[in-house]
Amino acid sequence: MTSPFAGPIRLLVSSAEAEARTERSDSIEAEHLLLALAAQQGTPAQRVLQGAGLDQQAIRSALSAEFERSLAGAGVSLPGGRVPSSSPDLTRKPRIGASAKWALHRAVVAAKARKASKLEPLHVLIGVLSAEVGTVPRSLDVAGVGRDELLARAESAFTTG
Amino acid sequence: MPAIDLPPAGEPADGLAAVVALRRLADRMEDAEVERAMRSGWTWPEVAEALGVTRQAVHKKHAKRLIAAGVTLRRRS
Repeated sequence: MTSPFAGPIRLLVSSAEAEARTERSDSIEAEHLLLALAAQQGTPAQRVLQGAGLDQQAIRSALSAEFERSLAGAGVSLPGGRVPSSSPDLTRKPRIGASAKWALHRAVVAAKARKASKLEPLHVLIGVLSAEVGTVPRSLDVAGVGRDELLARAESAFTTG
Repeated sequence: MPAIDLPPAGEPADGLAAVVALRRLADRMEDAEVERAMRSGWTWPEVAEALGVTRQAVHKKHAKRLIAAGVTLRRRS
């Protein structure tokens, strides 16, 4: 592979950055990559997610439910179930966070293992789904989506398209 | 001082996820509360002292956003 973050992956990261900014996050995390993958209509990665009922709205609901459940674990509940709102920072430039770095690293490993000439969104999906701990696996769990099964579907999508 | 009742400790993954969620909540609350204070006429030094950070830090983190949102910022008390 020459430049792993060219073309579609650059667009994907850019879309994930927009998700992070919308969420007022200072960093692009794995969940933002997942939301970006779900937004890329017609890609194999989006089809895999869609097949498990995971469109953007479903993922946002799962992330929100996981957030509330984790806060509850510390004895905190949100008034009205809502996070305090504030004006957006359109100038904010979220950096790539640790969970997204790991996901992208795993994506590169997955692409190399398949001797792929370039990194594709499906590799990134595998990278995101390969995390065993953290916000994404916990959110999938809350949504009742089997991560292992979803990962297997993503793996098999390389042969079925 | 009354004790804060934390739920019984669960799995380490639950405890760590609670840390992540609390950090995120704190960040979101900071954005909202700094904006509320500045809209109410607080100055940067007042907000900084209330948060326990430097004036430069709070200004750097929030000024552009609040200016873009049309908040009238007071520079001195």
